Amino acid sequence: MRFLVVDDSSTMRRIIINTLNKLGHQEILEASNGREGMERLNASDVDMVITDWNMPEMSGIEFIRALRTVDKVKNLPVLMVTTNAAKDDIVEALRAGVNNYIVKPFTPDTFKEKIEAAIPK
Amino acid sequence: MQDLMVSTLVEATHEVFNTMVARELSEEAPIVGDALRPKSNVVGTVGFTGSEKGLVAFYSTLDAANEIAAAMLGMEAHEVNGEMPDAIGEVTNMIAGSFRTKMAAHGDPWAISVPTVTVGSDFYTKYVFQAERVLLPFHMKDSPLYVELILMKT
Repeated sequence: MRFLVVDDSSTMRRIIINTLNKLGHQEILEASNGREGMERLNASDVDMVITDWNMPEMSGIEFIRALRTVDKVKNLPVLMVTTNAAKDDIVEALRAGVNNYIVKPFTPDTFKEKIEAAIPK
Repeated sequence: MQDLMVSTLVEATHEVFNTMVARELSEEAPIVGDALRPKSNVVGTVGFTGSEKGLVAFYSTLDAANEIAAAMLGMEAHEVNGEMPDAIGEVTNMIAGSFRTKMAAHGDPWAISVPTVTVGSDFYTKYVFQAERVLLPFHMKDSPLYVELILMKT
């Protein structure tokens, strides 16, 4: 599987990539905000998107809304990794088109479980 | 309310360190007011606003900050080269974010800011607004760490 990890924090991208590597995933693209994420999606084939919420230029929510309008990628599974975990946040993210939600701080086991749940059967 | 906020912030701090830094913290009793000014080289802050307004600040020595960054990134502390401020920003963001989520069980969720990180020496953070301050001392082995709750008086 090829992943796109979108987060403005280089630390968080590295943590997510290390976690994906531990889970056996090696093909990973990176972007530091939603606008860059859209550019990567237009230029490459990706199987799953993992995105932060709060980012400059284009937030995670704006990014998900944008990708859901593009034929090539509109059905991609999208996981959101964020500290925004109040009930209202989750409702907003689900309405924007998130498939699953990972709350920071997280464990590798949680990550694995959420990825597996988001893979289309 | 302040007692609930303090205990929730302590819980959020332990959760972040146990899960993302793989370090156990020991804690001391909270210090109310600004009697103790932490000797720290690295300070991360995240603001929040809503039914309560204020800041969460995280204080660390340079060595401890590099150890935290290394643990988060899966490297040795001596290999850390420029990654530390972003890592401390993310630690502060996760502590404040987890605190905000837990507090949302008691009212509407607050909005929180992106983190800012200051690295330097011999500085002290003052605020232009009237504030109540509660300092939470922790230890990561021999390294002192502090989390401060700064509440704007309304």
